[in-house]
Amino acid sequence: MATDVSPRETGGGRRETLADLFVVDADVHVHEDPGELAEYADPPWDVALREIAKVEERYLDLPGISPRAEYRVPFPGGSNRRQIVTSARELRGGLDALHVNHAVLFPDHLLSLAMVRDPEFATTLAVAYNRWLYERWLTEEPSLSGALVIAPQNPIAGAEDIRRYAGRREFVCVYLPASGLKILYGHELYDPVYEAAAETGLPVVIHSVEAVYPAFPFQLEQFRTSLAVHALAHPLSMIANLVSMLETGVPIRFPELKIGFMEAGTAWVPFLANRLDKEYVERRREVPLLQETPSRTMRRFFYGTQPVEEPERRSDVVAQFELFDGENQAMFASDWPHHDFDHPQHVFGLPFAPEARRKIMGLNAARFFGLDVPG
Amino acid sequence: MAREHVIGRVGDLPEGHHRVVRAANRELGVFNIRGSFHALPNLCPHQRGPLCEGGVSGTIDYGPHTDWKLAWIWEGEVVTCPWHSLEFHIPTGQCVAFNDIRLRTYEVRVAEGELRVVI
Repeated sequence: MATDVSPRETGGGRRETLADLFVVDADVHVHEDPGELAEYADPPWDVALREIAKVEERYLDLPGISPRAEYRVPFPGGSNRRQIVTSARELRGGLDALHVNHAVLFPDHLLSLAMVRDPEFATTLAVAYNRWLYERWLTEEPSLSGALVIAPQNPIAGAEDIRRYAGRREFVCVYLPASGLKILYGHELYDPVYEAAAETGLPVVIHSVEAVYPAFPFQLEQFRTSLAVHALAHPLSMIANLVSMLETGVPIRFPELKIGFMEAGTAWVPFLANRLDKEYVERRREVPLLQETPSRTMRRFFYGTQPVEEPERRSDVVAQFELFDGENQAMFASDWPHHDFDHPQHVFGLPFAPEARRKIMGLNAARFFGLDVPG
Repeated sequence: MAREHVIGRVGDLPEGHHRVVRAANRELGVFNIRGSFHALPNLCPHQRGPLCEGGVSGTIDYGPHTDWKLAWIWEGEVVTCPWHSLEFHIPTGQCVAFNDIRLRTYEVRVAEGELRVVI
């Protein structure tokens, strides 16, 4: 493990600090209380949400909304971080402490939305969440932007919701929940979502979550430990959905659509790009739509940094970013306040060139989400 | 030269409790483990998290030295960083996950009802 605290650190000259930069956090999580969502949900689902609100919540684990089987053996101590934020003011205070200027908000429980089995309830949850986020968070604090959630169980309704908020700058992307997804995001079933997103200028962001769920690409019920499940859930989910989207030519069929991948680190990106390029040589006729190597298409996608890799040699992160043009395509993301968040100071402190650091810490995200960069 | 810094009254830190104090311009976690006092830096070497604001518990061990049986060890002697859950053995400063990481420990003396850390 590379550590941040080293006796070899020295001062010397006025160096750019984190506070000097425009820092955008591409992935921050708000906590959606089911009782609050009930106020924004169409009947009769408001009744169900009030019932769910009576159940004691566990971390990202709530019957009906985030149906995650708990698999940790409950010894005391250890990895028990359970931080949540429940108001815009509380969140703004937390982000100030992290030196984050602007943040894009993703949900807590609705990370598991793809696993909700009743499609009508899933749709209701997404619509209610977007209303709730808009009123309670986004209009409260202009430095907080929203990811508009769609339920993959009902892409038509998702497209309607995207158009409902068209032109309102409070939402800066569409969130595609990927954990436990039954049909990967390359399927034409989701074309209405991509049409609406491209039409309204919103990028789409794929974000998974750790869950034991017997759906490809997971099959994580085979593993015994959280170490295994958490290590694999995020990157495998990104890899599967990215390949699916390339296979059906989503980035070609919707050339205006910007596509981002969140919370899987970035080490998988060069691996996958090289692997697909190798296949492309032999099997181009299967994907004639692509017209270029997969790696070139992948260089137009954006990637959240978190959980940033922590090799023993910190400079290896810089080398790894060069392999996928991370200088221009990587967006700092903290995942705060979740258990595995990255502190911006840590990513800032990696040995990137100053210009690359400015882009990674905020300017790339501003370009992706369409945010104004101050001064 | 090392000297003593008063960090509170003995009675304010009962057995099984710990808290973060400031002394000599640094933050330390002070722990009372079964009547024995220990102090560590309140700084996790991983991402600079406030280590000693974390919870104290035992931890799990397994290997030839436990006869290949899961064992609960060091009850009350392990602090877990509240940021990313890296564990440290309080009396020695040893990081549980990484053999090559050991935090500095500070001597805590008891005199005239006071806790004094030696820095």
